Amino acid sequence: MTLVMVVDDDQDLAEMLGIVLTGAGIDVDLVSRGDEVMEVFRNNPPDLVLLDVMLPGLDGVEVCKLIRAESMVPIVMLSAKGDTQDIVAGLEAGADDYMVKPFKHPSELIARIRTRLRRTNADVNGSLIIGDLAIDVTAHEVRRGAKLIALTRLEFDLLVALAKEPGRVFSRDSLLSEVWGYRHSTDTRLVNVHVQRLRSKVEHDPEHPTIVVTVRGVGYKAGVVGAS
Amino acid sequence: MRSQRSPLAQSLAAKVILSTVLLSLGVVWLTGSALYSQLSDGIKKVNLESSLADARSVFYNARYQFLLVEGASQPQIQAQVTDVITSSTSIGTTEGAREIILLKIFGKGDTSKNGQQPNYSRASNGLLATTIPENLRSKISKDFELSHQFAPLTYRTGKTIDALYVGQRVSIPDSGRYEMYLVFTLANQGATLDLIQNSLLLTGLVLLLLIALITWLVVRQVVKPVRDAARVASLFTEGDFTQRLQVESNDEIATLGNAFNEMATSIQAQISRLENLSNVQQRFVSDVSHELRTPLTTLRMASDVIYGQRENFDPVIARSAELLIAQIDRFEKLLQELLEVSRFDAEVAVLEPTDFEFIALVRRCVADLGVILDSPESQIAVVAPNTPVHIRADFRRVERIMRNLISNALDHSDGKPIEIECVETLTEVAVSVRDHGDGMEEASLTRVFDRFWRADPSRARTRGGTGLGLSIALEDARLHNGELDAWGAPGEGANFVLTLPRIAGNEISGRPLPVNPHKRSEVQIETI
Repeated sequence: MTLVMVVDDDQDLAEMLGIVLTGAGIDVDLVSRGDEVMEVFRNNPPDLVLLDVMLPGLDGVEVCKLIRAESMVPIVMLSAKGDTQDIVAGLEAGADDYMVKPFKHPSELIARIRTRLRRTNADVNGSLIIGDLAIDVTAHEVRRGAKLIALTRLEFDLLVALAKEPGRVFSRDSLLSEVWGYRHSTDTRLVNVHVQRLRSKVEHDPEHPTIVVTVRGVGYKAGVVGAS
Repeated sequence: MRSQRSPLAQSLAAKVILSTVLLSLGVVWLTGSALYSQLSDGIKKVNLESSLADARSVFYNARYQFLLVEGASQPQIQAQVTDVITSSTSIGTTEGAREIILLKIFGKGDTSKNGQQPNYSRASNGLLATTIPENLRSKISKDFELSHQFAPLTYRTGKTIDALYVGQRVSIPDSGRYEMYLVFTLANQGATLDLIQNSLLLTGLVLLLLIALITWLVVRQVVKPVRDAARVASLFTEGDFTQRLQVESNDEIATLGNAFNEMATSIQAQISRLENLSNVQQRFVSDVSHELRTPLTTLRMASDVIYGQRENFDPVIARSAELLIAQIDRFEKLLQELLEVSRFDAEVAVLEPTDFEFIALVRRCVADLGVILDSPESQIAVVAPNTPVHIRADFRRVERIMRNLISNALDHSDGKPIEIECVETLTEVAVSVRDHGDGMEEASLTRVFDRFWRADPSRARTRGGTGLGLSIALEDARLHNGELDAWGAPGEGANFVLTLPRIAGNEISGRPLPVNPHKRSEVQIETI
């Protein structure tokens, strides 16, 4: 059974999240303090972390960095602040997705969690090539030559989404729906931040990307093999 | 503006110095002229007196010399005349020269003797009798008294020089009466007067320069603090409320400085008090909104769970669950908008421009709202260019404006069709949202963007609008440097026109779509 760690200091909300997630057939581990997260995380590694930004003990953004330092587990930030800087700070700390409280519908939260847990590229098997990178979709590995590049699941999904259709230019919206599972969300900051993070890991020179290429005014596409 | 004015109008110092110098010039000119005329009169008078005294002694001596040769032979007399002439004249025609002219008077009754009497008429330096002024000659011939006159002296070479003529009658034995003239050239006196004049001019000039310098020094003493005050005041106006004048003395300027500083301190205190109040208030609104979000999330999830079970409930409880969900939606929207308004009020709303296609956004908003609000999509007609219209703006905000305008139109359309029209120019995009509902009074137009304002308070809130939508839409438009205009007429519906620069932050040069739909046909639209 899937295990989700819910980190929130509001007992009522945490309990409610527990009820909703359990109702959807997901096991829940409740943590109420930021500084207790890592201990629970190591003892009982979850499949996904639902992380509030404002936490006693240790700030959610800091917790996010600590988790990222030792795991590629999907992280969804929960924020009572809709402010851009908080969202961007969370995404840059390594969160894959975020949800602003209050959520439109609890079902939306479940949908997001499921998207993050699902093998998004179940339809693709074997290996793909993007630029000078080799992707082994089945083994969930990306290599440049013999060197293994560590990516989060979301970054991996993003890279595979681009690689499996080399000629196609993806708009930010279409990436949002393919990789994040949004139906009509409009927050393209998610895409921008994650493309930056992905580039910092896979590009030779993130300033002049050759793997994930920007198509001005439209979106992104996979870099052509051998192109400099 | 400042550079267009003359430097004189700009500078108090220049004005004061110029007027002081001009006035001083007048005073120096007057005193100089008076001094010069007094001096020259005095010098001329002294010269005249000494010349007349000289002349008297010369004439006296001549008469005496001529008496001595009474009865002597003609050559002896001739020699004596020559002696008198040479001893009384200077040599050459240099400055300060003295000439003598001796002219025989041919009396009317003496015609018989004219041929017999020897004529000893002589003149030094070969001067001609014609150089002597006629007035003087007639005076001398009538009168035995010493007479004088100022007149130019002309030498044979043609050289003319100012001179004093002094004349008297003398008698030479056996020859009769003569006019004797002593001519004093005034070259020396002229040189002296020239020297005085030049000295006066030079002194005047130096005096003027000194006055200008002194004025400048004095004015600077007064003007510098005034300039400092002006500089500090303008810095203060620009928002640097920490600026103060330096007060170093105890005079009127210091009083001005102290008064200014007191005013500045008072203004600073007032402003920081107001800023503080406003900050506290913004922060409070923002905190309240944030604090409300967590319980609202729990509330929403709980109500959703209840709502999900509504089939198992009594119909009254099931309906209550529906109402609960709807009200939580409305409450949440209000909270969100309050938070947005508090951001605008705190001036922390930030534009996040991206490139996107405008028409697609408009069409999607129409489709979304049509679905969400359960209105038939055919109720909204969209007229737009067939080609994509790319703009650079804050997607989220533009979408919010469109949603607010469309849902406002749906709220007031009474089920009648809504028309949306998009146009583009080189520099702007514009979109109008027109409904054919009850419309508004003209007086309402100014208030339509006010928070929580409703055209008709008795009107039911059909769509559950928060009353903040249009106000936020206007702020969103202005954040782009765009504009949102409203038009309405009772019974004719309302029209809202959003005009945005193609690149957020640029100026909009006009309104491609007039807000009054009746003026639509009169305006030429520059489309590309």
